[in-house]
Amino acid sequence: MRFWLQRFGMAILLLLTVSALTFGAMNILGDPLFNILGPVAGDTENPESIALIEAAEAEYNLDRPLPVRWALWLGDFVTGDFGVQFSEDGQPPVSDLIAERLPRTLSLLVMAQLMAVFISIPWALWSASKANKPVDRASTVITFGMIALPNFALAVVLKYIFAIQLGWFPLAFTANDPFWSRMWQMVLPAITLAIPAAAVYQRLLRTDLITTLQEDFILTARSKGVSRNSVLFKHALRPSLFSFVTIFAINTGALIGGALIVENVFLIPGLGRAIVEAILREDFPVVLAIVMIVSAAFVVLNLLVDIIYSLIDPRVRAS
Amino acid sequence: MTETTRSTDAGASRAADPDHVHLDDAAASLVPSIAGLEADAAPVPDSDKAAKRRVGWGFWVSVTWLAVIVLAAILAPWLPLKDPELPQPPVVGERPPYAPSGTYWFGTDQLNRDMFSRTIWGARTSLVVGFAAIAFGMLVGGTLGMLAGYFRGRFDAAVSFVFVVLLSFPALVLAILITALLNRSLFTISVTLGILAVAPVGRVARASTISFADREFVLASRTLGARHPRIIVRELLPNVVIPMSALALLGMAVAIVAEGGLAFLGLSVEKGSTWGKLILNGASSSRDLQEAPWMSFAPIIVLFLTVLALNFAGDRLRDYFDVKETAL
Repeated sequence: MRFWLQRFGMAILLLLTVSALTFGAMNILGDPLFNILGPVAGDTENPESIALIEAAEAEYNLDRPLPVRWALWLGDFVTGDFGVQFSEDGQPPVSDLIAERLPRTLSLLVMAQLMAVFISIPWALWSASKANKPVDRASTVITFGMIALPNFALAVVLKYIFAIQLGWFPLAFTANDPFWSRMWQMVLPAITLAIPAAAVYQRLLRTDLITTLQEDFILTARSKGVSRNSVLFKHALRPSLFSFVTIFAINTGALIGGALIVENVFLIPGLGRAIVEAILREDFPVVLAIVMIVSAAFVVLNLLVDIIYSLIDPRVRAS
Repeated sequence: MTETTRSTDAGASRAADPDHVHLDDAAASLVPSIAGLEADAAPVPDSDKAAKRRVGWGFWVSVTWLAVIVLAAILAPWLPLKDPELPQPPVVGERPPYAPSGTYWFGTDQLNRDMFSRTIWGARTSLVVGFAAIAFGMLVGGTLGMLAGYFRGRFDAAVSFVFVVLLSFPALVLAILITALLNRSLFTISVTLGILAVAPVGRVARASTISFADREFVLASRTLGARHPRIIVRELLPNVVIPMSALALLGMAVAIVAEGGLAFLGLSVEKGSTWGKLILNGASSSRDLQEAPWMSFAPIIVLFLTVLALNFAGDRLRDYFDVKETAL
């Protein structure tokens, strides 16, 4: 029990620190008043603009000290009020934008992870069963190549081959299309994210499988007459999946970063596009909300890893 | 590489707890390329052990490619290259961009500038960012990690917490925040990417310091009356630095890639060209990509080979030195 309390406390402390750093940086380095009012914010001579400035300061609590503002913002944030966007046409709530953009990034991530898992597990099994033979060595070289091509470059290459030359995929995302056609438009970006992820998973799982295959219980199973394939799938795979679970969750965090970039190449209006647009507009309630969502996802994923890990391996809990 | 260092390294890996290697290896980095490569630090089957003590010919091919790129980048102003910013004389009856040819090895871009020369000049900025970032990470992260691993206690707890906070910030988001809020000078971007390297580097430095701090030679030095600074610099540093060189190569690859990623978000270095900006320029419109694919593919190939060489050389070195991050 104490273990879990510690882990939860740590996760919450982490999120508080991340939010304080982000909030502080945006408020100190940026100019919130200017973002709200525009050029009027600098005009401290004119009594009309002074009235406007004071009204805005009161409304957005800008007259309060920074820690108080952070506490107020945090209170709103955890109750689902992400504030309003700073934009010229009215002040739509940030949560609307998130609700529109988040599902796209999420489906991109889910699709990419599914692809990566379905490619990497059979590949690792095949590779491990032929460990250190020429085919296995060749596949190790291939994984090196898959990891060394950065996602933005891979996106450009895939876009050129499959969207431009072969014309199998559309060049951009159309938000009004029916569900399945939108999913189809995300296949190429998902492949872009899945290729390096699959290579990462394959390498890890292959190494673990090879270690497992040297255990005594594998020898026992083989000597009882269990076939090679059956040993591989039924006996070796499960105990080799421990670190796979870890790297899967941790890599999800890395994929979020990748998704932000890939969205920009394939013109998918997800969170990645949203944060770039928000930065250009200096619309920092949006930036803050996205940073917090991504960091929270990150921390929760890490917590999940610990939970899953200690469930399958009680030794972790003891230490 | 002396025989003494080798034997101490072997001792360090014996001290490592094999059960926890995976969990922490993976947690050490947010960036997929490092995470993936670290996976291979897992136990190696016996048949591989003999091969492990040699770096292999692939290592030397990688080092040669890196040397060529670095030399070309350094010597760019003196090499007989076309001016990277100057439009070349157009061919009568044809509009630029021109495809690769004997005159323009990598073709030309929309403004008829020589892509070969631009790629070499782009290497200057990309390599400087990569090098400066990992140097910063090594200096700050390495120092903090070593001090934390040596003194332990509250200081260690505080430093470890800072590392965890840094790691729980999605790397790219932190880079976006800093470059968007400050400016996009070469300095800011290098330092930003350097900050991202602090935690992964620092954790490895801390772990390997811990594995050496209780060894006999440290005890001997302390018995002879050596003070903390001397023990850290003279006894521990040489043992920690050598295996870290492998990490430096891997980290440099990550930083170069990160710069490219920032370029695609419109947040890369403002002045001059980088590989990321060149690729983006060639791929920013589908029409350019369709009609003149060489504009993006030339820098993509050079970037790919460089990252591949850095990863491969780093990976071989890491196997050679048997670098592991333990869960101490």
